[in-house]
Amino acid sequence: MDDLRLVERDVDTQDIKIAARKVQVFYGDTHAIRDVDVDILDKTVTAFIGPSGCGKSTFLRCLNRMNDTIDVARVEGDIHLDGEDIYDAKVDPVQLRAKVGMVFQKPNPFPKSIYDNVAYGPKIHGLAKNKAELDEIVETALRRAALWDEAKDRLDEPGTGLSGGQQQRLCIARAVATEPEVLLMDEPCSALDPIATAQVEELIDELRQNYAVVIVTHSMQQAARVSQKTAFFHLGYLVEYDETGKIFTNPEDSRTESYISGKIG
Amino acid sequence: MTDATATPDAAPAPHRKKGGSLLELDARTRKRNAAEARFKAYGVIAITIGLLFLVALLFAIIRNGIPAFTQTFLTMEIVLDEETVEAAEGSIVATSQYRNMVAEALQVKLADVGIETDKEPRDLMLMLSPGVGAEVRRVVQESPELIGETVEFRFLTASRVDGYTKGRVQREDLARDRNLDATHLDIVDELMDQGVVERTFNLAFITGSDASESRPEEAGIGVSMLGSLFMMIVVLVCALPVGVAASIYLEEFAPKNRLTDFIEVNISNLAAVPSIVFGILGLAVFIQFAHLPQSAPLVGGLTLALMTLPTIVISTRASLKAVPPSIRDAALGVGASKMQAVFHHVLPLAAPGILTGTIIGLAQALGETAPLLLIGMVGFIASNYPDGLASGFLDPNSAMPAQIYEWAKRADPAYYERAWGGIIILLAFLMTMNIIAIILRRRFERRW
Repeated sequence: MDDLRLVERDVDTQDIKIAARKVQVFYGDTHAIRDVDVDILDKTVTAFIGPSGCGKSTFLRCLNRMNDTIDVARVEGDIHLDGEDIYDAKVDPVQLRAKVGMVFQKPNPFPKSIYDNVAYGPKIHGLAKNKAELDEIVETALRRAALWDEAKDRLDEPGTGLSGGQQQRLCIARAVATEPEVLLMDEPCSALDPIATAQVEELIDELRQNYAVVIVTHSMQQAARVSQKTAFFHLGYLVEYDETGKIFTNPEDSRTESYISGKIG
Repeated sequence: MTDATATPDAAPAPHRKKGGSLLELDARTRKRNAAEARFKAYGVIAITIGLLFLVALLFAIIRNGIPAFTQTFLTMEIVLDEETVEAAEGSIVATSQYRNMVAEALQVKLADVGIETDKEPRDLMLMLSPGVGAEVRRVVQESPELIGETVEFRFLTASRVDGYTKGRVQREDLARDRNLDATHLDIVDELMDQGVVERTFNLAFITGSDASESRPEEAGIGVSMLGSLFMMIVVLVCALPVGVAASIYLEEFAPKNRLTDFIEVNISNLAAVPSIVFGILGLAVFIQFAHLPQSAPLVGGLTLALMTLPTIVISTRASLKAVPPSIRDAALGVGASKMQAVFHHVLPLAAPGILTGTIIGLAQALGETAPLLLIGMVGFIASNYPDGLASGFLDPNSAMPAQIYEWAKRADPAYYERAWGGIIILLAFLMTMNIIAIILRRRFERRW
């Protein structure tokens, strides 16, 4: 594990942003997630790792109720955001998703201009009173996503014309523009080349200052590079959840050790 | 390598590989190549046969249909003598008096151009359309200031004379004709030489209305074209919103359960229901039950809308499905509601496909005949152009394919020719619509 560049590991805060207790997810008859308990800290990057099909993406999608869009999916248990149950009958998932933004595996900019991509969220949520404010929001979001310098002269060009890495940063900018509190990222770098990956990882580390970031990744190196806390999922169970440094150097569970040393997965 | 450098002049030993040389084909490869060549040949043959049929079809349509667009006219002057006009207007059958005027004028005309004939004026009139008297009367009534002057008329010739100039009617055919005989044709030949009888493009075929069995030279497809237009408006207004709304609901909002599966299967089946079934449904529901006017484009349009609906639903759903789910995820991910995701992102991306499907559905409806026969959209509209929207939707009318069917049924070969001509016009419309659909698809198609 020498190649793992274990960056700054100290967790800045202990404020719990999302608390999940006894979460179960069923896809039809399949029990995809079993008894997952996890506390996600504010202003921290939390990585979910595990072999394919272990349920890490499914669990991530529970956190902003994206699983609602799948007819056969059923979620049980409690997930609290700032102490409020997000699966309460009174919660409108639309409002929740404005607070819990999401970046997907494959860059999926809208086939519209770069500007419209970023401005769409603020527009539908009424975050800007006028064009000037909207311009400012767009600029801030693009700056945060480290895309401003590359995109400022081509805001009217379609977002789909950008390179893969730029598209993914555009998607991050789009997610950031709605002023979320939590940012979920589902394997955000799996479709990117190493250079674009490095840029996005750097970005994730910066985003930590403002948001709780939860990232699902296949790459253990990436988890080690960007996260402060790591959760290891296996066969639907949350096997181990601890500080990243501890998971990668001194895991408690034998399954975790087998996975990070490449024996399972 | 070391061997080669040690003995540089030694030729590389021929090394027999397991599967034989690459330079010669083995039996298996030869067989596979032969099969591939055969398959390609079958494809080429199939396409050639298809193309031959297409060429034959187009050739037949154009050959038979083009003559319908021209018509033979006879130009002559008539003195609209005040006394004669008054006498004609005063008589019971005014048009027959006008016919006599034309007959006399025709005799004068023939004498003028130096054609001698011992035929009676009445007999000579057989060369002209039976409608000439009415035409003179129409001119007199429309512009009474012409009375007392000499007016030049361009009369339609009788359909036999027209057929003769087009080569449809041969001299031998006239043996059994009790009206026209060879001497008439001699006169026509001479008149053509003199330029009095001419065959020119006939706009009235495109803009005109249907005519009675005995006057094919007057018949045009214009009124039924209007009938088709009004029907298409009804189809568009009824089928498009309903079809698109149903598809969006089924595709994006409806829960996937037995009921929606059942509906889905039924929509697919509806698309395969014979159109005559929709016709009888239209007859039972719209006319017998709802008492909407018979033969009206409104009813025709409603019936065809039912028929077009499955086409629109299927193509709309296909284009909604073609929008990648990542776009929906992206919209939902930034906190758009489902409806916002659909209307802001999915629908605009699916729009070209929806439009294409709609145009194809409309084109299909435009060419549909069977349901129209059942709801009586084969009205014989000899002169009544719809005036205004209400009349356009509610007055009895015909439609282009029904008109073509009507003409093809009639005994006179002149109508057969007009049926082919009508097919050319119908095909021109269909091709235009399909080309628009293709252009739309090309222009707005998006790839991911």
